[in-house]
Amino acid sequence: MYLDLNTDLTKEQIMIKEETHKFAKEVLRPASIELDKICDPEEMIKSPILWDTLKQAYELGYHTVLIPDTWGGLGVGPLEAHIIFEELAWGSVDFTVSLAVTCFPAFFASLLPNDRLIEEIIIPFCEDKKASFIGCWAITEPDHGSDQACPFTPVFHDPNISGSCRAVLDGDEWVISGQKSAWVSNGTIATHALVYLTVDPSQGMAGGGICIVPLDLPGVKKGAPLNKLGQRALNQGEIFFDNVRIPKEYMLVGPDSYETLLDMTLATANAAMGAFFTGVARAAYEEALNYAKQRVQGGKVLFEHQLIKHKLFNMFMKVEAARQLSRSVMIYNYTNTPPKIEYSIASKVFCTNAAFEVASDAVQIYGGYGVSKEYVVEKIFRDARAALIEDGTNEVLMVTGAHHL
Amino acid sequence: MAIFSSTEEMYEVLGTLWRDLLSQEETGKKFQEAGIVIRFSVHSPDGELWLFPDREEKVVCGKADGKPDVEMFLSGDDCHKFWMQELKLPIALATRKIKAKGPINKILKLLPMLKPAYEKYPEIAKKHGII
Repeated sequence: MYLDLNTDLTKEQIMIKEETHKFAKEVLRPASIELDKICDPEEMIKSPILWDTLKQAYELGYHTVLIPDTWGGLGVGPLEAHIIFEELAWGSVDFTVSLAVTCFPAFFASLLPNDRLIEEIIIPFCEDKKASFIGCWAITEPDHGSDQACPFTPVFHDPNISGSCRAVLDGDEWVISGQKSAWVSNGTIATHALVYLTVDPSQGMAGGGICIVPLDLPGVKKGAPLNKLGQRALNQGEIFFDNVRIPKEYMLVGPDSYETLLDMTLATANAAMGAFFTGVARAAYEEALNYAKQRVQGGKVLFEHQLIKHKLFNMFMKVEAARQLSRSVMIYNYTNTPPKIEYSIASKVFCTNAAFEVASDAVQIYGGYGVSKEYVVEKIFRDARAALIEDGTNEVLMVTGAHHL
Repeated sequence: MAIFSSTEEMYEVLGTLWRDLLSQEETGKKFQEAGIVIRFSVHSPDGELWLFPDREEKVVCGKADGKPDVEMFLSGDDCHKFWMQELKLPIALATRKIKAKGPINKILKLLPMLKPAYEKYPEIAKKHGII
């Protein structure tokens, strides 16, 4: 295990790290490697490996990291959450993203609870040990990707730009029609969606709402699971809504606070991404370091060659910097409301870039074996690539963050 | 016109509410376990209310000798709206209607414990002629 520069970690925090690492090493990593090999994503979501792994994660409560114990969640603080996310993602970032988004409906319900949400969403989700309640975060649409993630920028209030997935109030129900695009994590296996949609198009993107939609309601259809470059154990896919009716209590936020809550969501999600991709960067670095200390070329191990030493130290610096930045951001932004989104964005951009660069260097150190499916670095490299786009492309996020400078 | 006609009236209403809530076994225990001292700094009318989970006198209306772990800054009207469930705390914090200092995640954890107070507040408010 790496040297933790935080010398104030308690015995409990150290134990959390060790236990989570064990689960990541023994369960998540091997499962994600096997699922990554399945060519057809339709077959992947039927695989018992997927469901057995999710079930084990649910039994340990990893689906409730963000939910307070007063609601039945793990109830950990932000430092513990970071430790857990880094270790889980070290094992498999695909499973980690899945476990993070699965809690979105219940997590938001726990922030803005009413009796119905407590009984029908929060408690059932927290009590679920069988991975039968799967959540997802449905936000982007075919015509609106990263431009959905620009709260508090001028474009967000342009009345000519608004989403196509809409909700209209009809008596005691909201009626939803439209489509969420193929990037919805857990999209085709989810039982519930936290949907970000348009309520008042005259306000542009700012006229949005946030609601929970049970995905067994009439009018809900799911598309085919996405076949993609990396994070292949993470199911993603489209969701279609055709006059789907939800009770009034399931609309959590309207246009009056949509922009603010979206900002909070992005701050939360991007801070988590920073933690995940610290884990990914570390995974790639450790593989490369171990390999470099064994592989002999020119009569000595790679590690004794100067350029490799130099490269490895560069990778080491990026991993350590990623951890320090992402931990500080997560601790601040999970403790303070409103959070500082520019810091979460900085963490996400830095850590995902670091993970991709470190993984690319790891592949290079492996030489020809680096592009062989025999070694895990090839998968880690592919898993890291999507993150430069995931949850908002890094370029767009940086411009959004810059508005707060 | 402000909901609370005076600081004294506000103390009477909110003090009663908090004392009642914290005297309940389960709620009192959860607040004690959370172990956080909270100071509410209210304006219009001006006043402060302290919660000390570990002291004998758990609720103090007015100035108190202590160091708060969490401070919340809000108006009397927003206090009333919160207890009438017309104001959601996370949204109020995010929109800076209520300002806070300190680990607010620890406060948000306590929200489920407030249910008995939500049920009692309208009765207390009515008794004082506020609604």
